[in-house]
Amino acid sequence: MTSTACFIIVSRNDIPIYEAEVGSAAKREDAAQLHQFVLHAALDIVQDLAWTTSAMFLKAIDRFNDLVVSVYVTAGHTRFMLLHDSRNEDGIKSFFQEVHELYIKILLNPLYLPGSRITSSHFDTKVRALARKYL
Amino acid sequence: MADPASTPLGKMLLEEITPVVMVLCTPYVEESCLKNGLSLIQLLSPFCDFTNIDVPVRTASDQPYRLRKFKLRLFYSSDIRQPNLEVAKERLKKVITHVGEKNFLESSDPSQVNNLLSRPESEMLPSWFQFFNKELVRTLSFSDHEAFDHPVACLLVVSSKDDEPVNRFVDLFNTNKLPSLLNDGAMDPKIMKHYLLLHDNQDGPFNKATKLLADMRNAFGQNDCQIICFNSSQDGKIHHQDNPWAPFKSDALPTENLGGFLNLDDLNEIKDFMQELSSKHIIPYMEQKIRVLNQQVSATRKGFRNQIKNLWWRKGKEDTIDTPNGPVYTFNSIESQIRILGDYAFMLGDYELALSNYRLISTDYKLDKAWKRYAGVQEMMGLTYFLLDQSRKDAEYCMENAFNTYLKLGSAGRRNTTRCGLWWAEMLKTRDQLKEAATVYFRICGEDTLHSAVMLEQASFCYLLSKPPMLHKYGFHLVLSGDHYKKCDQIKHAIRTYRSAIPVYKGTTWSLIKDHVHFHIGQWYALLGMYDVAVTHMLEVLASTHQSKTTQELFLRDFLQIVQKTGKTFEVLKLQLPVINISSLKVIFEDQRTNASAAAARVKESLWRSLEEDIIPSSTARSNWLELQSKIMPRKYKESNICVAGEALKVDIEFKNPLQIPISVSSVSLMCELCANPEEDANSSNNEVQNNEDRTSTSSGDINSCLILSEVDFSLEGGETTVVQLTVTPRIEGILKIVGVKWKLSSAVVGLCNFEFNPVNRVVRGRRKQHSPSSDLKFLVIKSLPRLQGFIHSLPEKTYAGDLWPLVLELSNQSKSPVKNLKMKISNPRFLYAGNQKELNADFPACLKKKMNVEKSGRHANVNKTLQNLYHFPEDISVQEETSLSWPLWFHAAVPGNIPLYITIYYEMEGVSSIMKYRTLRMHYNLQVLPSLDVSFQLSTRPSRSQEFLLRMDVVNKTSSECFQVHQLSSVGQQWEISLLQPVDSILPSQSLFAGQSLSCFFMLKDRRRSSTSEDSIPSLSHIQSDVRLGPQDNSEAFFDVSSSPLADFHDCERSSRGMSSQGCEYKVDFVFITQLLKGNSDSSSNTPLVFSHHACDCSPSSMSPISWLVDGPRTIQHNFSAPPCEVNLKMTITNSSDAIASVHINTFDSPSSNNQLINDATTSQPPEHQSGWSEIPIVNDTKIITTEALTTRVPKSLSLESVPQFIWSGTSSTKLVLQPRSTAEIPLQICVFTPGIYDLSNYILNWNLTPVNDGENQGEANKSSGVCQGYPYYLSVLESNFKD
Repeated sequence: MTSTACFIIVSRNDIPIYEAEVGSAAKREDAAQLHQFVLHAALDIVQDLAWTTSAMFLKAIDRFNDLVVSVYVTAGHTRFMLLHDSRNEDGIKSFFQEVHELYIKILLNPLYLPGSRITSSHFDTKVRALARKYL
Repeated sequence: MADPASTPLGKMLLEEITPVVMVLCTPYVEESCLKNGLSLIQLLSPFCDFTNIDVPVRTASDQPYRLRKFKLRLFYSSDIRQPNLEVAKERLKKVITHVGEKNFLESSDPSQVNNLLSRPESEMLPSWFQFFNKELVRTLSFSDHEAFDHPVACLLVVSSKDDEPVNRFVDLFNTNKLPSLLNDGAMDPKIMKHYLLLHDNQDGPFNKATKLLADMRNAFGQNDCQIICFNSSQDGKIHHQDNPWAPFKSDALPTENLGGFLNLDDLNEIKDFMQELSSKHIIPYMEQKIRVLNQQVSATRKGFRNQIKNLWWRKGKEDTIDTPNGPVYTFNSIESQIRILGDYAFMLGDYELALSNYRLISTDYKLDKAWKRYAGVQEMMGLTYFLLDQSRKDAEYCMENAFNTYLKLGSAGRRNTTRCGLWWAEMLKTRDQLKEAATVYFRICGEDTLHSAVMLEQASFCYLLSKPPMLHKYGFHLVLSGDHYKKCDQIKHAIRTYRSAIPVYKGTTWSLIKDHVHFHIGQWYALLGMYDVAVTHMLEVLASTHQSKTTQELFLRDFLQIVQKTGKTFEVLKLQLPVINISSLKVIFEDQRTNASAAAARVKESLWRSLEEDIIPSSTARSNWLELQSKIMPRKYKESNICVAGEALKVDIEFKNPLQIPISVSSVSLMCELCANPEEDANSSNNEVQNNEDRTSTSSGDINSCLILSEVDFSLEGGETTVVQLTVTPRIEGILKIVGVKWKLSSAVVGLCNFEFNPVNRVVRGRRKQHSPSSDLKFLVIKSLPRLQGFIHSLPEKTYAGDLWPLVLELSNQSKSPVKNLKMKISNPRFLYAGNQKELNADFPACLKKKMNVEKSGRHANVNKTLQNLYHFPEDISVQEETSLSWPLWFHAAVPGNIPLYITIYYEMEGVSSIMKYRTLRMHYNLQVLPSLDVSFQLSTRPSRSQEFLLRMDVVNKTSSECFQVHQLSSVGQQWEISLLQPVDSILPSQSLFAGQSLSCFFMLKDRRRSSTSEDSIPSLSHIQSDVRLGPQDNSEAFFDVSSSPLADFHDCERSSRGMSSQGCEYKVDFVFITQLLKGNSDSSSNTPLVFSHHACDCSPSSMSPISWLVDGPRTIQHNFSAPPCEVNLKMTITNSSDAIASVHINTFDSPSSNNQLINDATTSQPPEHQSGWSEIPIVNDTKIITTEALTTRVPKSLSLESVPQFIWSGTSSTKLVLQPRSTAEIPLQICVFTPGIYDLSNYILNWNLTPVNDGENQGEANKSSGVCQGYPYYLSVLESNFKD
């Protein structure tokens, strides 16, 4: 398990719809905003890379000091962004794929408006469990 | 691509990598130059840059080429050393601070990202970056591993004033005074020398100087000596247009006249001198040196043999030297010579030659592990490739290689890394690889935070300028840069960068980012003392719900601190704390309709309207368009809401604290504008037009003010929502407008919120109109009117069902004029009932008791009983000015549940206002009625006597703690006589019913009317036993009078509410069960018992069909069955008690099974209401009337159990007869029995049909026009007789 990891789902309108600090390290107050900054800045790179490949998993696309940003882009251009400091590409890929499944289940909910914030606590627990499993 | 030399990097290189000329001069020379405000180098510098020198150059190859651009760099010998790091840093810091001050003042923020991008590139990119970069590169000059800073020539300058100038020249080039770099062997001390004699024309005639020149030429050679005469102008007033020295003297004051003593001739002379120095001396010298070095290098290093030798030699050296900087090379080592050759070639523009030499030397340095030198050469190779514009890849590779190598050196190569990175980034920028350039800038960042800040800012601009613009990265790097600036206390820069980032993050939902940016800007502005701006930024983060509690506390604390420092109370139009739910805004105002309590105001308007429908004069409520109402009311009165002066308008607003920390809000009040009615100004005593002043000058206590505003203070816990009621009371007539609300947060900041353009959800008391929202908050204030205040005393909030209690309604009139024509309407007359005025002081509960000696007057009250819950107060009743009126009310908790009570009181004013003639007072109470006793009655006929009934009463105490004392059971009306079957003492010795206890009582009920055959002989009223005492028998306490008010009235209400006609039906009986509750301990102060009455209506026995019958005959007979079958004669007496002709059909069945079958058919085929004995039970009725349907079910059961021996009905199986109204007939019946046994003779049914004589007399019976009755069990014992005859 990585010591620092921040997982964010960004809607196609660049709005974060789900955020979770999934690292094992103690949460630091200033780190949270740094994570947001790094992930937010990485959106530019995603924008460039997303159209160059047919794969959904874009691997590590950006880095800031020792923090790496891995991104997975769904067909609807929702971006799963993971900020991490470990290099476990296979684990991250599996993590993204499983989260994608969960996300599709959320999308299938007729009461969920695509692009709105994901507030399901079930989703949250599942994502955290996946993070423990793969990251 | 354009010529590399004309790109920014190219220009920079051509400027920075140029031959260095060391200048040595005497103090007199400096003195003469300073007359012009310039040092010697400053004086000469403008003339060292040649854009078109056009000199033919021949280097290593035989082919000459022409050099166009050439520049000399002049340095004092004292400056030819590595610059002091600290000084250099200080200088850079000064540069940055200076720029920061300048930019901070003139910065204008683009608010939109689009604006940001629409500006031209040159405007976007701050110009000071280039200057800063140049300064940064210059801190690295004269490094020991590079040769382009080595002085190429030495210029010795002596003034003509000096004694023995020739000796001075010799003294100047004294090795002791030369820079250490030249002495310690890093640089070649044998350089070209040039001698210059400077003559100041102010000091004397020129001829002395020419003589000196001749001496010099003798001493140093003909060509190397020259003379310049300057300061020819005597007055020093020459003003140079487009001053050439300005760029070289940055710290010059604007008033200083640089070069004031230099006239045009002087300038030309200097220019010519410099040109000659360059073209005739320095360039040829360099050419020659190149050629010599090239030859040398060719001899030692070129060719296969030399290479092998070199390689072998270096291999051998490998183990010996391992210093961190590699081996030390002096200027005359072959490696340095090659480097010098390369640099000279580079400076003269022969890049091919330079490149080949750099390549040669780089492998050597690499083998020697002289990393710094290797990196330096790689760097130069990269630049050479760039200038040759040949291989981009090679250029980039070389730069990266150099960069990484420098980086590997650690802190020693730090600054070289910076320079290399800057050049590399410039190179990438030139090639439009802005993204890569940004990465390089980012990589430059190192230990020096200030430099890193600038680099990061440059990186951000690279992202901005890249195509397509990478705005996210731009913002991020700006913020990073700002953080670095802050760390170096460059707050103005920090603010500038953060503010530039705002457009990127504007409107973003990445909340943490937004908060971070605004919070820090706010903090930093506060540090600079610009509190006003700080507050505006802090406001943005105030309502950050997503932040943790500590962060929220920090934000709020800092915000309040900043506000405090401003030293004034801020008025903030859109303060986010607390959040105002505008949609929750409710305006409650009273025009005609007034509310007795806040609860009444919350009730739906439609409910009141339906209640008031028939008491309000229709002319005002619903006007006919034919009526010219405009005569009565001016148009504007109808259009705007009306309120009355002196009466408060209430506004409910919801405040919500979005944070997790508590906040305190104080002085919450409305903002209102009241302007006196312009049309009535003439007669209005207060002519003063109260306008906006009211917003500030209103205080709650000020009587003289025209508006009275209430102020509310409250504090909100985290996440709490509260509804606040604010009031405004206008005191004069006019037009009142509610503008908004204002409040004070933590007694520091004043928040304002305007209601203007928000949709207002009004609860209006007046007429509903379709208006623009702004006019909803506009009120016409009219002259003060009487307003009744109403209150019901001692109305309990919580009571038990059945409670009967007198109440007093108090109406008080505070005004100066009386009101009259009072009417009252109560929504729920089962619970509340208006009494007589004389009951006001009556003794309760004694007034309910029967008064034996007094003529019954209760019926009188019922005669003129008010219709439909509407109660007219007597005509003569009016509420006089400043008095109050008390009126008795009776309260009866009829059913359990949560009961809302609505009371509206209508009253009229006399001639006070033309606009309002009447008003209504609305009162609303909520009652909680708990279930108390569950009373049910069961009535069954006595089969033997059709006029008598058996009444079973079941009472269950459903309360959890109360103990009821049973008092009496009364039947309503006068036709029923009730009596106990057994004394109450035997079943309920204590006479009280404890919690949970149940009681069953049996009574005999006698229809007195039936018992007497003629109507006339009704006994006198006093003898009627319609009440039964259940309490202590010896008690002389009187019965409660159920036939007088209020018990009778409530009983009627009960009946009507259950959908029954008020007139009692003759076959049905109503009961009132009265208990008492002794409240000794709890709330009630008096020890008078509470009276509870429970009403049961329309109890009727199952068999109370119009047809009743009796089967009469022997019960036991003895018969000798050896004889012919035994015949038994029976008699059936059928009575028709209805007023209709009945046709009765008796069917007998022999077989019990077929009988059974038929009964079932009868029950299934017929609708239940046609079966006698069924009656619909209202759901609300808590006293259940249980009627026996057991009769029908019991019979089949008994039949199936017993195996009944056969008997047959003899005679016809079906008999039909017609009965006249109220008549009796007898039918003989006969059965035939064959064996002894006990027989149940119930296997017959009676079908009856009523044919009404005249319609409408008995409505209740009309629908029960036919029925089927099952026969009674009649047991007949037939015994075998023993005697034989």
